[in-house]
Amino acid sequence: MEERQLVRLAQEGSPAAFEELVTKYQSKVYSMALSFTRNREAADDLAQEVFLKAYLALPRFHGRSEFGTWLYRISINHIKDYLRKKGRAKEVSLEDVHEVSFSDKEQTEKAEQEREAENRRHLVREFVQGLPEKYRVIVTLRDIQGLAYEQISQVLHLSPGTVDSRLHRARRMLRKKLAPHLIGERGAHEL
Amino acid sequence: MNCNKAEKWVLRSLDGRLDERSGGLLREHLEACPSCRKAETEYRSMLALLRDGKDAAPLPRFWERLEPRLREEMEIAPLVFWERSCLRAIPVFLVLVGIAAGALFFTPQAAELSQSEALLLENVDPFSETGQIFSADKADTRNMMLIFASLDEKTPVRRPLP
Repeated sequence: MEERQLVRLAQEGSPAAFEELVTKYQSKVYSMALSFTRNREAADDLAQEVFLKAYLALPRFHGRSEFGTWLYRISINHIKDYLRKKGRAKEVSLEDVHEVSFSDKEQTEKAEQEREAENRRHLVREFVQGLPEKYRVIVTLRDIQGLAYEQISQVLHLSPGTVDSRLHRARRMLRKKLAPHLIGERGAHEL
Repeated sequence: MNCNKAEKWVLRSLDGRLDERSGGLLREHLEACPSCRKAETEYRSMLALLRDGKDAAPLPRFWERLEPRLREEMEIAPLVFWERSCLRAIPVFLVLVGIAAGALFFTPQAAELSQSEALLLENVDPFSETGQIFSADKADTRNMMLIFASLDEKTPVRRPLP
């Protein structure tokens, strides 16, 4: 069934239609919350609250934007509120990331490689958390969630030019922090 | 092309937002500039790590946990709606009361009572004087009484009955 139709049915009070929408977007909303909170339980709670808010606000959704865009807007606002209440996330420095260790030794075992990849992902997310909020939001939406520029522009109520420049600045900041851990020209992780 | 511009174009290219011509110019620059080549590799690696595993699954039984909360919220929602509606109704009620009071205050008072109405209010027969005029025997007397009666209409003080 088409998303527009599902939204209309959910607005008319069909729980099954809303369930389908939840199933479709739960991972996206959850992973967005997770990328901000770094805590599975908190992210899960936030995702549930986002869907509650969305359900109650459904009668006010007039379909001017895509349902996904509208849902992302609710998610971002809710997560921002949560973080504001919780207090500003502290800047993440290399010293904070104790559990991450890299080795440039040749790893042949698949499990080891996976663990290392997970560590790298973890490290990147840690550094994303260390960015100022406006940059963290835009990197999360674009580079983690994979939203299109136009969608980000609608979610954050920013002009496409501002999205472009803010994202550029955010990526530069992130690269500066991550440079020592990224793959070099020869394809190896540099330390 | 300078390196700042090349960096912007590298990111656009990684987003798939660089046109063919600019892409050619960027490739030329990258071939000649090792630091931009390094930046390009690092950006590529960084974005790959960010995009890797973007959709994590929430904790199990997400919908089963959400559904009762939705039902609970829907039970509360009408109460919240009425509460909000009542709060919104208060200023509207005050405005309506103000308008009504203003209308009462500024409505023009009823016109002054006519002589007949005043007599009726005093429980006096307004036709008694007229009767006396028409019962006068002489025409002159009748005429004089009529003249005085017409003058009387314009003066608030009532002429004493003859």
